[in-house]
Amino acid sequence: MAMLEISNINKSFGGLQAITGLNLDVNEGEIVSVIGPNGAGKTTFFNLITGVYQPDSGDIRFEGDSLLGLKPNQVVDRGVARTFQNLRLFTNLSVLDNVLIPQHHKLKGNWLASVLRLPSYRRQEKLMREKALEKLAFFGPRLMSFRLHQPVYVLSYANRRRTEMARAMATDAKLLLLDEPSAGMNPKETEEVTQIIKRMRDEGGYTILLVEHKMNLVGEISDRVAVFDYGQKIAEGSYQDVVNDPKVVEAYLGKRSDESEDAESEDEEGEAARESA
Amino acid sequence: MTDDKRTRNIILTLVGIGIVAVGLYFVDSYGSTKLTQACALFAIWGIAAVSLNLINGVTGILSLGHHGFMLVGGYITALLILPDAGRERIASSARNQMNDFTLGLSISNGFRALGLDGLTTDDTLWVRFLIALFIGGLVAGLFGLLVGIPSLRLRGDYLAIVTFGFGEIIRLLASTRLFSPFTNGSLGFSGIPSGIGKSVWWTFLFLAITVAVMAKLKFSSHGRALQGIREDEIAAEAMGVNLARHKVLAFTLSAFFAGIAGGLWVSWLATARLDVFLFFLTFFFLVAISVGGTGSITGVLLGTALVVFVQQYGDPLERTYSVATWVIAGGALLIVAAAATLLYRNLKRSRPRLNAAVYVLLGLGAVGIIAGLVGPSMGYFAEDFRAFGMRRILLAVLLIVIMIFRPEGVMGRAEFSWSWLFRERRNEPTDEERAQDAWLSNPELNKQKNAAFSDKNVDDRTPDPRERDM
Repeated sequence: MAMLEISNINKSFGGLQAITGLNLDVNEGEIVSVIGPNGAGKTTFFNLITGVYQPDSGDIRFEGDSLLGLKPNQVVDRGVARTFQNLRLFTNLSVLDNVLIPQHHKLKGNWLASVLRLPSYRRQEKLMREKALEKLAFFGPRLMSFRLHQPVYVLSYANRRRTEMARAMATDAKLLLLDEPSAGMNPKETEEVTQIIKRMRDEGGYTILLVEHKMNLVGEISDRVAVFDYGQKIAEGSYQDVVNDPKVVEAYLGKRSDESEDAESEDEEGEAARESA
Repeated sequence: MTDDKRTRNIILTLVGIGIVAVGLYFVDSYGSTKLTQACALFAIWGIAAVSLNLINGVTGILSLGHHGFMLVGGYITALLILPDAGRERIASSARNQMNDFTLGLSISNGFRALGLDGLTTDDTLWVRFLIALFIGGLVAGLFGLLVGIPSLRLRGDYLAIVTFGFGEIIRLLASTRLFSPFTNGSLGFSGIPSGIGKSVWWTFLFLAITVAVMAKLKFSSHGRALQGIREDEIAAEAMGVNLARHKVLAFTLSAFFAGIAGGLWVSWLATARLDVFLFFLTFFFLVAISVGGTGSITGVLLGTALVVFVQQYGDPLERTYSVATWVIAGGALLIVAAAATLLYRNLKRSRPRLNAAVYVLLGLGAVGIIAGLVGPSMGYFAEDFRAFGMRRILLAVLLIVIMIFRPEGVMGRAEFSWSWLFRERRNEPTDEERAQDAWLSNPELNKQKNAAFSDKNVDDRTPDPRERDM
């Protein structure tokens, strides 16, 4: 049984069919990439899995249990966490706090125990800090020592991306959804992120589903690649198979005929509608 | 933190508490009535402002209904501790709106029923007061829960309007036929024992408890979650924070302490009437929070001190003066404003040091002073004028000035701590860490060291992944 089973989900925003009849399985320990042109429904797909939106029909199962009807925080409780395409860090809080907040949902004991600093709370707080450091250590010394106590707004863009990944890891999720983890990074930083994602799987034991536009990253780390276009999965398989698939080439580059222009303009409209939705 | 520093901090904290206690002792023993009352008011409003800060500053939800929660706590405390004499006066009054049942609702009666007559004397008033205060806080917390629930569906401005509406609804409900047996309608209660509300010891004790709870909460896992909600609600939810539970927690706790503040305040005033729980109360706390620094408990206390100072010692501003005096004062104020602008720009080394606006200010100020001095002898400006509401105007102007020159408030988000006072910042690199940073950003130096922490040699990988066998 696959870890994440997505069967035949549909989602429309008003008249716009954002996701149509989508199926995808993610097995434990895999790195699966989702690629596709802008407006193909990749981020909507993530929002459906994480409970931001509910699918109109179909089922999403994680470790055999349906995720339908759960709120985003309940999805995290089940073991699925995400990063955001446009960074959504807690900007005025320190790096350490950013990595501690995602561990809050596992805290046992109510607010009074926290206020009174009961021994059970102190013990958990200590464990939380250890885990935060453990997750931040994935990025080497970049987020350690004095950086721990710096507010996120003073960090460089790449360090913010790293903090966002550390934050998702700190939720203790088994499945991580990474939405364009290398967006806006230079080639050297992208290379580092590639290695980090590999290590997240190999050393951290996470299963990873990622959306990415940088093909060299996708090609290097993906076990499988799924290609979306207009809310449908048009191809799935190894990177080699997928990039040579004529349908994928068509989705990215268009057909060599006059009809392709219509398709492109529709694509733009669809993207605008999806963004506004 | 090293053990040395920890010991130092503990000693400093004890010394600090000692100094405050000695200060309170002198205020209590030798201070004027006005000073004692100002200090007690600072503590009471401090409790309310710090509790409002939990919603507005820490959780980032704009709530404007704090006066409603204070009213609930205030009226319940008043009803429960009203002395028997006061009850008889209400019962014999022609405008009595209470009934036998509500007139009998007092802690004294409860103790009598339990056979604890020893606790119904004047000496043991504080026991009854504490119980009443606690009950008042609990009921206010219940109201907070009621207001917190709609907050789950609304955001930003809409929620602010709802909380404002709730605050007003609570105030108006108290005067309706349904609740007037409990509140004595618009007449309210008078003759409430003011021993605790006007005692600096009691009020500062409650302030200390409130600040301790709020500070411990803010720096706990729950507090971090609340701050996460403030920073980014969507991200907080995506990181597993249960928005509903935490928002309701913030509202309930905040309303509980507001209820306590309300109970102390009716004691300070010795009366509970509907017109002491106006929106202006919430406005004062908002000014205190904004001036001091949103989310910073230290800042909120500083802001409260300012608000209370203006309220208690600003009465000369509202006395009657001749118009000439006002004109001179206005002129002097303009000159001070011009001087302050110059000073500020010099300090900040920003923009032209002198520009037309400053000259205009100086000129107008000079004209005002001369006109005020010369005017009366020529028969102008002789009438008297009294500026009602000048203190509130002053507070509003202060708020505007702070918003222009330091929008984050005096303290910003910083909190007082000994390491803050001694500028021991943990977020600035040591020399060693700077060196570490240098090799991180230098590709020549960090080639091997990168490998050391990643356990993988980065240069070993295939240059183009597409050439690899999949």
